[in-house]
Amino acid sequence: MKVLFTICLFFLVNLTLAQTMIKGTVKDARGETIPGVNIFLKGTYDGTSSEVNGTFVLETEEKGNFILVFQAMGFKSQEIEIVLDGGEKNFNPVLREAINEMTAVTITAGAMEASDEKRAVVLRPIDIVTVPSAMGDIIGAFQTLPGTANVGNDGRLFVRGGDASETSIFIDGMKVGNAFGTTASNVPTRTRFNPNLFKGSFFSTGGYSAEYGHALSSALVLSTVDAPVRNQADISLLSVGMGYSQTLVGEKNSLTASANFMDLSPYQAMVTQNFDWERAPYGWDAEVSLRQKWGKSGMVKAYAHTESGGMKIWQKVPGTEGRGQLVDLKNHYTFASGSFKQTGKNDWSYYGGISYSNNVDEFTLNQIDIRNQNQIMHAKAVALKGFSDKFSLKTGMESYFFNYEEGLRSEGLVWDFTDLQGNIFTEADYYVSNKLVFRGGLRAGHSVLADQTWIDPRFSLAYKFENEGQLSFAAGKFSQMPVEQLRIAKPEVQNVKADHLILNYFLTKNGRTLRAEAFYKNYNKILTYEGSQYFYRNIQQSGTGYAQGFDVFYRDQKSVKNTDFWVTYSFVDSRRKFAQFTELVQPGFAPRHNASIVVKHFVSKLKSQLGGSFAINDGYTYTDPNFTGQMNAKTEGFRDLSLSWSYLPKPNLIIHFACSNVLGRDNIFGYQFSPQPNEAGQYESLPIRQTAPRFIFLGIFLTLSKDKTANNLNNL
Amino acid sequence: MKKHILILSLTLLAAVFANANNDAYEKAMLKEIKTMGQAGPVEEMQKSANAFARIADMNEGQWLPDYYAALAYANMGFRSQGSLEEKDGYYSQAKKHIEKANALSPNNSEIVAVQGYITMGELAADSNSRGQSLSGVAMQTFGKAIELNRQNPRAIILMAQMEYGMAQFFGQGPEKACGLVDASLGLFAKEAAEAKEGNLNPTWGKRLAEEMKERSCK
Repeated sequence: MKVLFTICLFFLVNLTLAQTMIKGTVKDARGETIPGVNIFLKGTYDGTSSEVNGTFVLETEEKGNFILVFQAMGFKSQEIEIVLDGGEKNFNPVLREAINEMTAVTITAGAMEASDEKRAVVLRPIDIVTVPSAMGDIIGAFQTLPGTANVGNDGRLFVRGGDASETSIFIDGMKVGNAFGTTASNVPTRTRFNPNLFKGSFFSTGGYSAEYGHALSSALVLSTVDAPVRNQADISLLSVGMGYSQTLVGEKNSLTASANFMDLSPYQAMVTQNFDWERAPYGWDAEVSLRQKWGKSGMVKAYAHTESGGMKIWQKVPGTEGRGQLVDLKNHYTFASGSFKQTGKNDWSYYGGISYSNNVDEFTLNQIDIRNQNQIMHAKAVALKGFSDKFSLKTGMESYFFNYEEGLRSEGLVWDFTDLQGNIFTEADYYVSNKLVFRGGLRAGHSVLADQTWIDPRFSLAYKFENEGQLSFAAGKFSQMPVEQLRIAKPEVQNVKADHLILNYFLTKNGRTLRAEAFYKNYNKILTYEGSQYFYRNIQQSGTGYAQGFDVFYRDQKSVKNTDFWVTYSFVDSRRKFAQFTELVQPGFAPRHNASIVVKHFVSKLKSQLGGSFAINDGYTYTDPNFTGQMNAKTEGFRDLSLSWSYLPKPNLIIHFACSNVLGRDNIFGYQFSPQPNEAGQYESLPIRQTAPRFIFLGIFLTLSKDKTANNLNNL
Repeated sequence: MKKHILILSLTLLAAVFANANNDAYEKAMLKEIKTMGQAGPVEEMQKSANAFARIADMNEGQWLPDYYAALAYANMGFRSQGSLEEKDGYYSQAKKHIEKANALSPNNSEIVAVQGYITMGELAADSNSRGQSLSGVAMQTFGKAIELNRQNPRAIILMAQMEYGMAQFFGQGPEKACGLVDASLGLFAKEAAEAKEGNLNPTWGKRLAEEMKERSCK
């Protein structure tokens, strides 16, 4: 009885106690009031929210020691110990800003990102596929971005006065060897990889993270799709081939397998070509992509791609009659990679993987059989630790295995080399606030073959202004071993070195993006030589060079209804002593003025997207041996107008039509000269032209899905 | 005897406390669900979101408080007139809560529907650049919600909105979307008829269906 009595009393006392009233105003560090703060007594239902003017009143009947909590989006929570004893209490807490991954400043120096998930991006992945001049090649789209040069007789990516080998390509963080198809000289190539494979890309034209090595000018990092949405079959019929892709999606895993076949013969039979083809380019590829979720937040991916193709082309020799020399080329290529990412406890996360590329080229040139094989293996493991929302540290290890063999089979001459490289890198990000971030990194490496050890420091910072614009600065040292064709001729060659300095302004707001960047790049230890491949002589490593300039990019999706356009201008002043040159010259792949415009307009009535892109530069330098000096002449400027029409009659059917060089301009990329002067003492020349006046692309893309939900809906 | 009384009293006491706790939960939930139903602008929604977050803290095994907190944040995203960053901030809070709810009650049609609703909000916040990548995800998610419970009118009306948008984009008629609207209206009526006093389960969305019926399916 006594017990019950006590209980009753307890409740009574509790009820009759006076209320405590907690009042105050919540402000941030700058003294501005914060509305919507969640204010409550821990362990009770008692709580309230601050008003628009930051004030709050919390009444409670609790008594004793409690913890008063203040929580608000974008701020660190604050807890205050409090004694409730009736009466009125005043609290005016100042909440400290929390670093917000989504809205905090990001380092944009040198970088152009295409992502659906992040904010400071230049493009969305879908934009890349639909650039009219790209013709479905991912690189074609990057050539409309600042810092790149359009080198139409090569097709690869040339960044800020650098040659194509200076751009390293990674898929899911893993190095891709020979990412571009092998081709005959002056016949442009394409990337081997289907753009639909990727959910995003990170393209840097300099000043990039210490994570990326073996890249002198540029890094292109492609990420494959994590989780396809549904089971589906994709069928493509193109003017140059066809493809089939099947995607199967499970609860925790998915599989995509695809095969493509292309042959330009029927197309070339219909459309005039500038080149003298004996056998038009042909090829097939097959690929498999597997993704498996690993625990709650981890992911394991495996990807394999294999392809084979070839071409036969007659290439004229200046100063001679007839069709010239016949190049017979066959290529076999395999790329395989496995990668993982996982989040651990205490803000640890890990990722890494292994990749293998194997490229075999078989040429017949003037009845000489040539076989070159390039193999690259890359393994990488990275650990990332967030010590607080302000400070994180990334540390990783990498090893590379390079093996290259080249041989003039018919002559019984075979050479090869093998190199092993070990790398470690570490990089720290420190956020002073949501507006200011510093990043410092170090990358060290050792090459067994070159017997060289190096350390490359890198540094960047970014500041975000009130108007959401941000200014970034990046500086660093970058190293890359010379191309394998030269290393094999002189295995002891050392790294080529570059220093980057970059200042970038980036603003994206209301569907408009402005990006302006100034840069200075300094080259050292560039290789110079005499002779040509297989017969290089006198290889020296004393070449130097520089590239400086600026570029501007403006994109607008808002001003004109249903229209998205971007304009790019890049100015590059580059001179270097390289290859056969004995002094600083402007390289043929580095036009000074480059501009492009891309416009896409959606017409609902036609269910169509109409696209146009225009690219222009001021011409390519070349050496005319009829005059003194090196790189003493320049071609007329390059100009290309490409148009495209994508028609979507149904959600699952796209018909895409594109035509390059609509105006039929005869673009010249340089001249080839006869090795000896003719009787008149003149070196005869032949222009290096486009493969054809125009390239016409017609593709029908059909997606078939037995989407269960669709069936469900129809049955409702 | 004394010992027995003591045990009995203690048991009673425990029961009283447990009941009080449960009562407090239900009382708080009912009150906040009602408040949220009437909340208009973002500031009022924020108060609801905060209140549900507090209830969630007190009842860690219950999925409903997190569910409603997520819904409140998603509504804030839809109602906000602010910047894209601000809207994304609300959606990221919404995701945090709905993931918690999902962990407590996996394969719950209501939770999956709100996941899709959040994706739809993110899409709407920047449809130019997100439309292509997120519309498939949103439809897929609503599809999953319907699959989990074909009687869930919210999953169906949200799917109807997506279907309507797609049909408009491709210049097709709204028949399919409007069929879904009618189906959801039927289910809403059924839900209202069956609802008991003190129900905490989701019942929102009828207005959405009525508005859509009025606007697009006449």
